[in-house]
Amino acid sequence: MHHIGRFGTVIAFVLLCVGFSIAAPAAFASQANVFNLLQQLATLSIVATAATLVMTIGEFDLSVGFAASLAAVVCFVMFGAGYSPWLAVPAAVVAGLLGGIGNGVLVAVYGVPSFVATLALGTILSGLSFGLSGGGSLFQNVPAEFTSLGRGSLLGVPVLAFWIVVVMGAASFVLSLTEFGRRLRAIGGNMLAARLAGLPVRRDVIVTFGVAGGLSSLAGLLLASRLGSVQPTMGEPFLLPAYAAVFIGTTASPTGSPSIPGTLLGVAITGVLANGMTILGVEPFVQKMLTGAIIIVAVLVRRLGRAR
Amino acid sequence: MSAAGNSSASPVLVLDGLGKSFGATRALDRASLSLAAGEILGLVGHNGAGKSTLIKIVGGAQAPDRGKILVDGMPVRFDTPHQSYAAGIRVIHQDAPLVPAFDTIDNCFLGRPYPKRLGTIDRSAMRQAIASVATEIAPELPLYRPVAELTVAERQFVRLLRAVVDAGRMLILDEPTAALPAEDARRFFEVLGRIRSRGTAIVFVSHRLDEVVELCDRAVVLRDGASVAELTGDDLSVGRLIAEMGGGAAAASTRTGPSPAAPAVLRILGFRTPRIGEPVSLTVRAGEVVALYGLLGSGRSSLLNALWGVEPIIAGDILIDEVRYRPHDPGSAVKAGISYVPADRHRTGLFPALDLVFNKTLPLLRSYRRWGVLPIPDAAAERRAFLEAARNVSMSFGSPAQLARTLSGGNQQKLIFSRWANRHSKVMLLDEPTEGVDVMAKQTIKDIIHAIAADGDAVLVSTSDREEALELGDRVLVFRDGAIVEQWVRGEATAAGLSAAAQAKPAQAATVRAR
Repeated sequence: MHHIGRFGTVIAFVLLCVGFSIAAPAAFASQANVFNLLQQLATLSIVATAATLVMTIGEFDLSVGFAASLAAVVCFVMFGAGYSPWLAVPAAVVAGLLGGIGNGVLVAVYGVPSFVATLALGTILSGLSFGLSGGGSLFQNVPAEFTSLGRGSLLGVPVLAFWIVVVMGAASFVLSLTEFGRRLRAIGGNMLAARLAGLPVRRDVIVTFGVAGGLSSLAGLLLASRLGSVQPTMGEPFLLPAYAAVFIGTTASPTGSPSIPGTLLGVAITGVLANGMTILGVEPFVQKMLTGAIIIVAVLVRRLGRAR
Repeated sequence: MSAAGNSSASPVLVLDGLGKSFGATRALDRASLSLAAGEILGLVGHNGAGKSTLIKIVGGAQAPDRGKILVDGMPVRFDTPHQSYAAGIRVIHQDAPLVPAFDTIDNCFLGRPYPKRLGTIDRSAMRQAIASVATEIAPELPLYRPVAELTVAERQFVRLLRAVVDAGRMLILDEPTAALPAEDARRFFEVLGRIRSRGTAIVFVSHRLDEVVELCDRAVVLRDGASVAELTGDDLSVGRLIAEMGGGAAAASTRTGPSPAAPAVLRILGFRTPRIGEPVSLTVRAGEVVALYGLLGSGRSSLLNALWGVEPIIAGDILIDEVRYRPHDPGSAVKAGISYVPADRHRTGLFPALDLVFNKTLPLLRSYRRWGVLPIPDAAAERRAFLEAARNVSMSFGSPAQLARTLSGGNQQKLIFSRWANRHSKVMLLDEPTEGVDVMAKQTIKDIIHAIAADGDAVLVSTSDREEALELGDRVLVFRDGAIVEQWVRGEATAAGLSAAAQAKPAQAATVRAR
């Protein structure tokens, strides 16, 4: 059964692409649409990578979207005050990193359930974003070097596509091939056993949440760069699709565990679905309902697969 | 215990020629037994002999491919656990969930209709319903305390009580004493005896053959999915059970212990932890196995945990090879040359959804670095080390890439031993090393432990199994209430002596509460 689930996820993706290509050959299967799709999905895939890392250790991070917003706000507030991007961008990433480390300390040192810790700390980050931005949009004094981060192209391909490759490639390498990644999978597999086996569980959990915060900031910055303006709530819509992608991705793993290639597949499925439906003129409310239904189906398939 | 007088009564439960296959594997093949009211029947067999499948079929969790089930002489079919339940069968697993915050009364009413009065739950009726049975079978069991505060043994009593008050008349107990020290097991048997005298039929499934002999009127032996023998009276002995199970007889230990000239490897002086109140001092020489025996919570495991760096040390010094050692976490213990096999492997040892190589190499992952420096494990080196270690501990497995949860209990335990098999440790800490493994795996693990000692390790074994303490230990120390109360060298200790020393007070019917 789980073999159907595993390859089913890949087959579903291929079928979706083939279906939309037949239904709207000119609009869907065009180079312009593919590039557009890559640009849209780049930021989501980075947030989903953060979610994957945290889920690998068996925890949740609900603050990813808030951290993305905060990073964008910090960066643009500094632009407004005349700072150079060489200062503003690192400051923004550090803000997200600190938020993530805060999550990690609450979870690993004080034993706060990650659901609660990251939601509460995320709310604080959100408040900070509103306070710093004054609640409105920021778009002044944005240097051209910064907008090229998310808008330019390289070798004829949108530069954001390379960000997907770099971030997900690095995360995949770390998770599957390094000692650190091995430790994260052990912590997710059995935290108590990992601790008793002598792994530095506390430190690794804090580092993981920190990295997740840093990646979320990066996604927020790239989104701001692509759009050229920032709102204090702009990162929030990342949360559900990011976890949807991780959950869909777990169906592609024999043990139902999160993985970077699985998450990439999940991002692609949700992205292609939304894109194709928009092209076909499906009403947004139907799109929403379908997206929710697909997440449920994915999780059900995983449960059925694991029941064997 | 004497045979039940009513063994000639017509059986309440008959299993006749049950068979069950999973694909090409024949899990059960011609398994038969009959069970009379008021009887305690032992069911024994190696891991994989078909006990679990048989229990699942009787409990309605799996349907048999062949064979019949008769209840009160009438053929029945159990397609769901509910049908088995309705027939009065209660399968009780030793870790069957209870609601920790509920007291005994509330736990006994879980999943049952509550007595009502004026539309609200009638608590006094609930209390009466439970208390009348409780005074009969387990009078010392606290009824109004959250079960989270009860001892392991008392929680077992709650499970039994719940089954009995809810019209259970055939109890299938799956390894009920695996987590109980001998003294608590004795109280457990007293409770079982009282339940049996109410006319309840009991099937006692256990690896602890001495308990089966002592407790049961009859025992059925499963081998390769078939019931191969039924032993009663004088035939029911540990030796006969082992012979029928198809296990090689346990070789008499020829161990001689460490040479008197062996150097002291581990020295503990004035050692106290939150659970060890009386300072403990202890010296373990190279090649020596010291068994720590005692009830749960007596301090024996606390000593190991503190040495491993997962429990605080309040006072005292530790010297390893005459060098001061102060553990602050397991990482520092590994560096100091300590190895550790935790109790309760499912909770604290195993990574069930990860593969065998992962499980083996994890604690010493740094030793598989590429070119010795890159923090990227060398998969080929790991695999070689795994295969070598698996041979050392005689683990049987299909492929290094299979998931740890697919191994049998004994092989899972060997997998945890294999973690330390490619290095020479100075000190080996083993907590309940043979818990829940079958007789043959038990023997292999004991051999492994002796081999570890022969390699020059100082070995500390914490155990609730008297026979194991006597067989393994060159010295046996008995813990009671956070202090060492008795010490023997090999040959001087006896099972009765261990029990007497481990108990806080002389056996007294009124003290069901163990510390």
